[in-house]
Amino acid sequence: MDMKVKGSKELLTEVIDTGLCTLCGACAGSCPYLVSYKGRIVLLDNCTLSEGQCYQYCPRTCTDMDAISRQVLGMPYSSDELGVTKEVLMARSTDANIKGRAQYGGTVTTILSLALEEGLVDGAILTRMSDDKTPSAFLARSRKEILQGAGSNYMACPVLEVLNHIPKDSTERMGVVAMPCQVLALSKMRNEPPQDRMNIGNVKLVVGLFCTWALSLNGFHQFLHENLDLPRVIKFDIPPPPANRFDAYTSSGKISFPLDEIRKFIMPACTYCLDMTSEFADISVGSVEGIEGWNTVIVRTDVGADLMKMAKKKGKLEVNILPPENLAHLKEASLLKKKRALKEIITKSGDRKNLLYVGLQESIIDNLLA
Amino acid sequence: MAGIGIDAPGTTQLFIGNEAIARGALEAGIGFAAAYPGTPSTEIMESLASVAKKMNFYAEWSVNEKVALESAAGASFAGIRAIAAMKQNGVNVASDFLANIVMSGIGAGLVLVCCDDPSAISSSNEQDTRNIAKWLDIPLLEPGTFQEAKDMTKWAFDLAEELDTICVIRSVTRIAHARGNVKLGELPKKEHKAHFDNICPIAPTLTKFIPYPSAWLHQQLHVKLDKAREVFESSPFNWYVGPEEAELLIITCGSCWLYSLEAVKTLNLESKVGILKLGTIWPLPQKLIEKHLSKSPKILVVEEIDPFLEGNIKEMIADLPPASPHPTFYGKRSGHINAYGELNPNMVIGATARIMDITYESRPAEYSKKAAEIPFTYMPMRIMTFCPGCPHRATFWAIKNALRLDGRDGFVTGDIGCYSMAIGPAGFFQERTMYCMGAGAGVANGLGKLAQFGFNQPVLAVCGDSTFFHATIPALINGVYNHSNFTLVILDNSATAMTGFQPHPGTGITAMGETTRVVDIEDLCHSLGVQVDVCDPFDLENTTATLLKAIAENGGPRVVIMRRECELVRARREKKPLYKVHVDPDKCLGEACGCNRLCTSAFSCPGLIWDKDAGKAKIDEVICASCGICADICPQGAIIKEAV
Repeated sequence: MDMKVKGSKELLTEVIDTGLCTLCGACAGSCPYLVSYKGRIVLLDNCTLSEGQCYQYCPRTCTDMDAISRQVLGMPYSSDELGVTKEVLMARSTDANIKGRAQYGGTVTTILSLALEEGLVDGAILTRMSDDKTPSAFLARSRKEILQGAGSNYMACPVLEVLNHIPKDSTERMGVVAMPCQVLALSKMRNEPPQDRMNIGNVKLVVGLFCTWALSLNGFHQFLHENLDLPRVIKFDIPPPPANRFDAYTSSGKISFPLDEIRKFIMPACTYCLDMTSEFADISVGSVEGIEGWNTVIVRTDVGADLMKMAKKKGKLEVNILPPENLAHLKEASLLKKKRALKEIITKSGDRKNLLYVGLQESIIDNLLA
Repeated sequence: MAGIGIDAPGTTQLFIGNEAIARGALEAGIGFAAAYPGTPSTEIMESLASVAKKMNFYAEWSVNEKVALESAAGASFAGIRAIAAMKQNGVNVASDFLANIVMSGIGAGLVLVCCDDPSAISSSNEQDTRNIAKWLDIPLLEPGTFQEAKDMTKWAFDLAEELDTICVIRSVTRIAHARGNVKLGELPKKEHKAHFDNICPIAPTLTKFIPYPSAWLHQQLHVKLDKAREVFESSPFNWYVGPEEAELLIITCGSCWLYSLEAVKTLNLESKVGILKLGTIWPLPQKLIEKHLSKSPKILVVEEIDPFLEGNIKEMIADLPPASPHPTFYGKRSGHINAYGELNPNMVIGATARIMDITYESRPAEYSKKAAEIPFTYMPMRIMTFCPGCPHRATFWAIKNALRLDGRDGFVTGDIGCYSMAIGPAGFFQERTMYCMGAGAGVANGLGKLAQFGFNQPVLAVCGDSTFFHATIPALINGVYNHSNFTLVILDNSATAMTGFQPHPGTGITAMGETTRVVDIEDLCHSLGVQVDVCDPFDLENTTATLLKAIAENGGPRVVIMRRECELVRARREKKPLYKVHVDPDKCLGEACGCNRLCTSAFSCPGLIWDKDAGKAKIDEVICASCGICADICPQGAIIKEAV
């Protein structure tokens, strides 16, 4: 794989214009030319630089998965379905307030609140639902603000743009809640720290979310606008299989759409993503199939492990073992995503040797294609 | 330097060509002058307006050249000598009226001054407007000196009355804007008395002031031109210098008279080359020309811009008796003189030397080579740009961003004014079409009707405030009437800026300095029932958001008015800056800023420079207008603006 760092022109031609852009936001705000706007990345001016941090940290340009994995997890890229795991648990918040706002178990909100309380972080970059019901990323510095980030959004949101706007000389320690693509971008930054920006070492905690795909703002918001009384929507939910629905909860009740009706709004870029469980996060969190009100939690690093231990010890989280069936299903689903993605990548590139953005060991590729 | 109204006949004053023309009009006793600003004609009206009150005549900036000529004609019909002045494009705008008034005849002397701009130094196009004289049958004079500029203009009014037809004076930049000695004549002290007579030359009730019956009047017009030709044959504005029999005869006119004189002198050919300088250009003084043609085997015609004399002289020869001489012609058709662009003495020297088979080196070859190389080594590349503090820079920055954010490949149709420079880096290359006054909205109208062919690109038409009154209103109304989908951005900087801050219907001041009712652009647009937004271009965020909303809409045209005064006008009046602006060298990341010098290379205000030694951005305090816009551009917040 050609590891050459290129510029914004190539970012457009190789990623944004080819349908690979996930709107993670790693490029947006990295310089004043690149911004996110209504679900797109826009280059406001003609940049003549041949190399740029926009290209360097994009999770859809040349990514050496082994190097990233060594930097973040201390070992080469794992061939396991769920990536590197110390523990796989299920958990839920013990706080009624958090449970009331949470999508499932409220684990992410609880973990962040604890991290803030204990002084591990000074703030957290989260996503909340804005007035028009689209997601908007923000920097939370209080428990109240962290609570605003509770709940799932399902539409792609350029969260890392907020990180890029943090001043260069800031000493605030950050937590970030991110999708797998965003976690990958963050990991690329940790691997080769960006120059003349906020010190990436200030990111002390990365909470990754499980993700099969995200919905594109373009089109989906119009769909919502046409089919719902948006001001009355309180939350969205895509319950785990076998539900096969997209639910909108309004002040007057629940409105459901068949998931198949929604599929056309899936970001094309998600087709090429191998990561369902945010494999480079400290902790990865998702739902539990068949068990409402709980989260699946994958602990990957010491930072993650310590925080989970503290949460359990302080009675902030109820923690149980994840039932083996659920674990098996999770592994199956994650492996399926990897296999599908690799096939799609090879179809797109037209060449088994050209995996577009991802650098994997041959053995891993062979296993996935088998 | 004296004003044109100085009462000192017989003295010599230093005037630019335009002032000389204006002085000529004064000496002819005009009572009325109308014009629209247009380089290189603008100073004619400016100097007339400055003395109009004192000298008891009327001068106005009209809303466009058509109205200017028509209103001058109105004065003429009522017995008042009137002059209308404009650049070449203005004649185009006035041409329909011109084509009709040649048929009817006039009242008191009516003179049209047309100032062409060879090489289009300050114009959209270049054109040789002398062609209109042949096209529409108009007597046309072209001054070759500053004295002539005055004398011809004065005489043109007499000629117009003698022939009973409008007469044209044609000038070019190098006459209009260059300076020379002019001996003054008397200023008439007469009282103007205006009255419209219901003259009936043909029938008891039929008026004179109609082009009816056109074919018969056309024939009458030809008779008038024959009369003009007779008069021209002995005009003092045509002269010959040189030997009785010349090896080469240069026939020239206008600015090229002095170039030709210089060429002959430089090549030491006074005894071999003669120059016939014509001042009466149309109709051609054929007998005079014929006389000189017979004395030389070679003719070189030197003129700007088209081969007007050249072609018409050749045409004339075809009608001469067979025994007449048929010399060899040189000029534009032979490739000796460019058939486009401005001429200069070097070109004429070169052509003459070539024909006379002389080698002439204007400077040593070694020197020429060096001179050709030096500009690329030492001269910085200077682009045409907006002044520091210009609201247009901010407007086009917002337009650029809005169109990029919108993402549908939107573009701007441009128009004429300072903002025309937005075809280049000054306006971030935003204008993608640019033609004549009003064409921005005109072209947009067509584009706005192409949805049925799959067109979905946002179209932004721009126009200035003066342009809006001049030509854009009908195009906007067309958009409303025909339901065309575009956004009209009116750049209201309260001035006709490009030509020198002349007032217009929106500024509330007349050419003669009187206050008048303001024609409110916003109200006018509202009366058409279109959506109107008003923005301050210096508020980049709001302006960008407003543009985004406007281009996202469909349906008929909508208007966004960018309202902020031209910085030069504001600075002259208020004499103090808005802010104090400086770059904090600690915050500025210099080359290390990931933006690749966004401030100086992309935004490129001349007041924001690069300090090569420090490797950082810096405010050039001499040039900076302290508008504060750049403070919003810097991603590091290194540009600081403090209220003064």
